[in-house]
Amino acid sequence: MFNWDNKNVIKSLLLIGLFGFSQAGLTKDTGYYGYGKSATQEEIAAWDIDVRPDGKGLPVGSGSVSYGEELYEAKCALCHGAFGEGEGRWPKLAGGFDTLTDAKPEKTVGSYWPYASTLWDYIHRAMPFTAPQSLSVDETYALTAYVLYLNDIIDDEDFVLSKDNFTEIEMPNKDGFFVDPRPDVKNPACMENCKDPATIKVTSAIKGITPLQHIAKEEGANDKASSDSEDQQPKSADQVAVDNELKVGSAIYSQSCSICHGSGIAGAPKFGDKMAWAPRIKQGVEQLNKHAIEGYSGKTGIMPAKGGNPSLTDAEVSAAILYMIENSQ
Amino acid sequence: MKKLTTSTRGLLSEIKDEAAEMPVSERRNFLLKGLQLTAGSAFAMGAAKVMAETPARSNVPAWTKKLGRGVVSVPYGQPSKYEDDVIRRTVSWLTASTESSISMTPIHEMKGIITPSGLVFERYHAGLPDVNPDEHRLIIHGMVDNPITLTMDDLMRYPSESVIHFLECPANGGMEWHGTQMEALQFTHGMLSCCEWTGVKLSTILDEVGISADAKWVLAEGADGATMTRSIPIEKALDDTMIVYAQNGEKLRPEQGYPVRLFNPGWEGNTSIKWLRRLEIGDKPWYQREETSKYTDLMPDGKARKFSFIQETNSVITSPCPERPMLRKGVHELEGIAWSGRGTVKRVDVSLDGGVTWRQAKLKGLVLPKAITRFSLEINWQGEPLLLQSRSIDDSGYVQPTLTQLRDIRGSNSIYHKNSIHTWKLDTDGTVSNVQLG
Ligand code: HEC
Ligand code: HEC
Repeated sequence: MFNWDNKNVIKSLLLIGLFGFSQAGLTKDTGYYGYGKSATQEEIAAWDIDVRPDGKGLPVGSGSVSYGEELYEAKCALCHGAFGEGEGRWPKLAGGFDTLTDAKPEKTVGSYWPYASTLWDYIHRAMPFTAPQSLSVDETYALTAYVLYLNDIIDDEDFVLSKDNFTEIEMPNKDGFFVDPRPDVKNPACMENCKDPATIKVTSAIKGITPLQHIAKEEGANDKASSDSEDQQPKSADQVAVDNELKVGSAIYSQSCSICHGSGIAGAPKFGDKMAWAPRIKQGVEQLNKHAIEGYSGKTGIMPAKGGNPSLTDAEVSAAILYMIENSQ
Repeated sequence: MKKLTTSTRGLLSEIKDEAAEMPVSERRNFLLKGLQLTAGSAFAMGAAKVMAETPARSNVPAWTKKLGRGVVSVPYGQPSKYEDDVIRRTVSWLTASTESSISMTPIHEMKGIITPSGLVFERYHAGLPDVNPDEHRLIIHGMVDNPITLTMDDLMRYPSESVIHFLECPANGGMEWHGTQMEALQFTHGMLSCCEWTGVKLSTILDEVGISADAKWVLAEGADGATMTRSIPIEKALDDTMIVYAQNGEKLRPEQGYPVRLFNPGWEGNTSIKWLRRLEIGDKPWYQREETSKYTDLMPDGKARKFSFIQETNSVITSPCPERPMLRKGVHELEGIAWSGRGTVKRVDVSLDGGVTWRQAKLKGLVLPKAITRFSLEINWQGEPLLLQSRSIDDSGYVQPTLTQLRDIRGSNSIYHKNSIHTWKLDTDGTVSNVQLG
């Protein structure tokens, strides 16, 4: 239908026809293109999961510190530690008060975060790490209350956190932030005699913590004359087969196994930990394959069948084991 | 491998049979040892290869004497197999899991200013999601007249624009605040890339939905397991922020937010929310985890800077560098890259003596705002030890600072935004190492 009353049509005719200049820089009216669908209030409510410091976005619900403790121990402690101290390299959630000016500050929910709303929002959207958006509203209130309890921000074990009392919580570091003032440094861009060469002190990198295998290889290649014939050999079919298996294994490992074996959570023997792997390797490949493919409950914990990923083939699991063993002995 | 003598073949299969009996732990070492043995007995092969590497002038290489592969033998083209070292790399001890981690672009191998899509550094907070574009929706709501949901088809109907901009993680170089740690350029500066991005300007969409006069902030949210969120000030949103769906001429790579991401030119990478699913317009910032716990810069007095968005000008010499040592004496084109989140790189100076004297380098190729810019300077190196530095100046007049200048104001605990002048130490044997000057 052609409708001359439609101001958009007129506007485009004016733009192309009468004036013929570029449209750039002109603000278009609302709904000019009219693409997509109007979002309904229901759709918006289902999508809008954020919570602001003023409490906007908090859903109706509540949860107690003690229920939070139960949930935390079941779903969070294995990574974040029973007291929020953080297992291995997983994030610390509690402590670190009065360390922000230290040489090694500990930034945690308690010592650093300015608003409790961020904690509710983040747990609800992103935790537990392996199953985000699996927590109910009440569970999120309970866990938020418990993490605040671990940080002594709530000190009453019987406290029940709810939509109604949420904004009363004050975080210790609420005044700890200010808006970025950069540019904050002025370098005069001196060109000559900028400093006394005698005063230059050179400090070097700590050696051995950067993965440099690829550079070592390049240097070898630059040094052809001295390299022996072994290095020049093309790889044999067997060596290639082993390499390929390790490549597959490495990919499977990082996808399906590293989540536990990378840090050694839940009693999993840690990748690279020779002591933990030695007695296991002694059992022989077959036993290891059987345990990993079928799953088993051992002395230190539960190894789920195929690491909890039934879509892996037996061969893929074996490749991952080979890769793990190669790097743990 | 080519011709194995029958005896070598026999030996190999013997080794293989024996290896099958062994526990897997020993299997590989044994296999490898066996291989070295056979390699020794077939030394003639090695000699042949050495000859092949020093061809006589009349020599016609094997690939010239036969028919090559036909078209679409590889329907999606891949780099030459000889380039298999040009890959992203990570530093595994930095993080607890690869799903919440970072990998770096091999910037020592990059040419020109565009980073190939497959080499752009990765940063995930909950792993890489596999988003189906047909099911994906972008919802725009909040303080607007007309909230809408868009499919990918809808989004691609809006007038599109293409821009070339760098994208950098604000933690690039952050491992070096306390001192040098990383022994290679890929790890000191590799959380950096520069691509052509195509999409629609966010302002076009904000006009379309009609924002309230009180609107001050936009919350962007991703569809990954972290539903990553950042609050963006409305001034930026109406200026040059884009919603992009293509990168270097093809659809975004999953690693860069397929099928759609936000893109904030010149700002810290984390604000350019990937796998974009929601934009909410509001009157206050949301203070999400990524703008409180993370991506805030702790100062020596215990207070922290928030909303530190801009990536200030930075530069680094990429040749030579630890991965690309000086192989020979003589004339060498010293090369590097500079970039600025405030605008265009105006000038780059280079020092060979640790900052005592500086010389202006030449800017080469395309010099674009908020994009990687290449600089070069010819030097004649006669084996003397040097302390190599570069210093970038952008069109706002801002000069890249020294590390000492940064530390004097910010201390060493701010993690982010370390854009200080970088120093490589070139030794008499041509090796290059990462150092800091005090
Ligand atoms: C498998 C390990 C794991 C489990 C289990 C887990 N988390 Fe986390 N958590 C993480 C990781 C990894 C991060 C950081 C994610 C990132 O990089 O953005 C994190 C971050 C957090 C943070 C933010 C920390 C900070 O200082 O920014 C909070 C709060 C948190 N988790 C709470 C929880 C709660 C509550 C649970 C239980 C419901 C839980 N987590 C379960 C791994 C885990
Ligand atoms: C949810 C955590 C988890 C995941 C994921 C996981 N493992 Fe395990 N795994 C364990 C635990 C716990 C043990 C130790 C059990 C014991 O001996 O008490 C273990 C033990 C093992 C062992 C030693 C078995 C033995 O007999 O000593 C192997 C091999 C192994 N896992 C392989 C894998 C492989 C391969 C994958 C990935 C496909 C994987 N695991 C994924 C938790 C896990």
